Amino acid sequence: MKVVIGVVGNDIHVVANRLIDISLQSRGYEVFNLGVNTYLEEFIDAVIETDSKVLLISSLNGEAEGWCRDLLVLKDKYKLDDVVFVIGGNLSVGEGTESQIVPQFEGYGFDLVFHQKDLMEGLDTLHDFVQNKFGGSK
Amino acid sequence: MSLLQRDREIILSNEYVDNFDFAEAEEFVKNASKNLFISHAFKNNKGKTLVQPRGGFPTYDKMHALYEQFSPVVDVLPMTIDSHTRLNDYGSAAKMLRLSEETETDLLNGYPLVNHGYRTTRKMVTHFDTPVSLRHGTPDARLLIELAIASGVFEIEGGPITYILPYSKNFPQDKAFLYWKHVERVCAKYSTINEPINRESFGPLTATLVPPCITIVIQIAEMMLSLEEGVKSFSVSFAQTGSLNQDLVTSKVLRKLATKYAHKIGVTDATINLVYHQWMGAFPRDKFKSDSLIDAGAMIAKMVGADKIITKTRAEAFGIPTKEDNAQAVANVQYTLNMLQGIPSFVDEEEEENLTNQVDEIFEAIFNDKADTLWRKVFNSIKNGIIDVPFSPHIINNNELITVRDKQSNIRIYKKGKLPISDKSFKYEQSKLNLGANTDSVVNQIIKDIGVML
Repeated sequence: MKVVIGVVGNDIHVVANRLIDISLQSRGYEVFNLGVNTYLEEFIDAVIETDSKVLLISSLNGEAEGWCRDLLVLKDKYKLDDVVFVIGGNLSVGEGTESQIVPQFEGYGFDLVFHQKDLMEGLDTLHDFVQNKFGGSK
Repeated sequence: MSLLQRDREIILSNEYVDNFDFAEAEEFVKNASKNLFISHAFKNNKGKTLVQPRGGFPTYDKMHALYEQFSPVVDVLPMTIDSHTRLNDYGSAAKMLRLSEETETDLLNGYPLVNHGYRTTRKMVTHFDTPVSLRHGTPDARLLIELAIASGVFEIEGGPITYILPYSKNFPQDKAFLYWKHVERVCAKYSTINEPINRESFGPLTATLVPPCITIVIQIAEMMLSLEEGVKSFSVSFAQTGSLNQDLVTSKVLRKLATKYAHKIGVTDATINLVYHQWMGAFPRDKFKSDSLIDAGAMIAKMVGADKIITKTRAEAFGIPTKEDNAQAVANVQYTLNMLQGIPSFVDEEEEENLTNQVDEIFEAIFNDKADTLWRKVFNSIKNGIIDVPFSPHIINNNELITVRDKQSNIRIYKKGKLPISDKSFKYEQSKLNLGANTDSVVNQIIKDIGVML
């Protein structure tokens, strides 16, 4: 299964991005890694261009909130209902709690939201979600 | 007029530069005090490890106060440049400098040298009469280094690889080689009229599990590109790896091979110095642990016979240190260095041989590239993954090389990607590791290894 990943906004946290890449590859995904400093439009372009089924955005400096508000508009414009949208990392600048942040980002159009969650735990959840949505084949 | 001079005049006809006077700048360098040249200190201070902190503030007054604080304890003053200037955005730097002056808050993370100008900056540099080192991170430093040298800053850090791969996502790597070629030529030109301008490469790279063979290859590649253009004093550097043994082995192999490859390109009259960076990874938030880490770094610098050490402070985990914290760290490092006299020598023939082989094997592949010039060979090697820097954010980097620490905390190659090391060299690395086939556990190991000092 194809997946597009990257870090949104003016965020240069490359370490987590690389570790997600390695982990996804070892789980059998075909990874298109856009790296750090990526804008939302670039993510959407890459999903369409590669015909990926999963988009996994990460954010560590708390900028995600500002960048992801337009996701619903873009999803609607490019008819991306079949794509799984995932966001993870440190999703708020302040002291936001999980119970506030998860519904907020779900409201932006994300299927899975991981705020300060363990990487492997998150990828296990993604795996189950993808299995349910698309069936057994990767 | 030479092509070089024509280019320099174009570069310096910049709206943010106030009438650069080439003849006056040359006259100043020619008659400058020997005390401003770190190359002079390196030659005359054999055996002493020069101590240099990090630091830079936006306003002239705060920079002056920083130097005032440092002056009694440091051997080399730092001039760290702000990030707008590093990206050649002198307009934003000017605006933030004005706001910093008006509001008395620091709105820049360094000294905007272009905006202050060389006439002003020179007053400060000559007043302290101590070598100053330019620390920046600028891909295109052709303008900045002119103003630095005209100010009396006679050490220029950086290079076309070490200032790109760790810092930038998409600055064109080939352009960086050409811009730095210009920098080397200007440094070489000034080096003939007084003591040499010292060039220093930035060995820490991403400071995240970079294996010594990659550090050494890049250090020597930048050194050769600099010496090729006529630079006569060059510092190779590396950062504390997190393993005492690996630091000792790295320093020996780096020194030995730097000389070997300088000779290989026909340069025998350049001085090559070794610089050691105290731990560049994540620091503990406990200030007492930070003090221990800094002490250990000072001791290792002495053990590896570093010509210069670049220091950290106990405030590292919390942001930019105060000038007092910074000067205190330097004083402590000086104390530790002075305490350690008569260090016994350590030899680990097996490790030294393995590392030497790896570097030679990578250089063989670089030299075998079909390109006509050294910079193109190195450029192609980065593109091909022959040179691969772990955790570089740059789109050109290959990202297939994976490293982890062994039981002694040495950084080892777990997956070699396209690194052209021999089966024998790779087997040696593998023999030190005891990891299962489970990638989740490798990723968890990497996370632990990155945070080894926390």
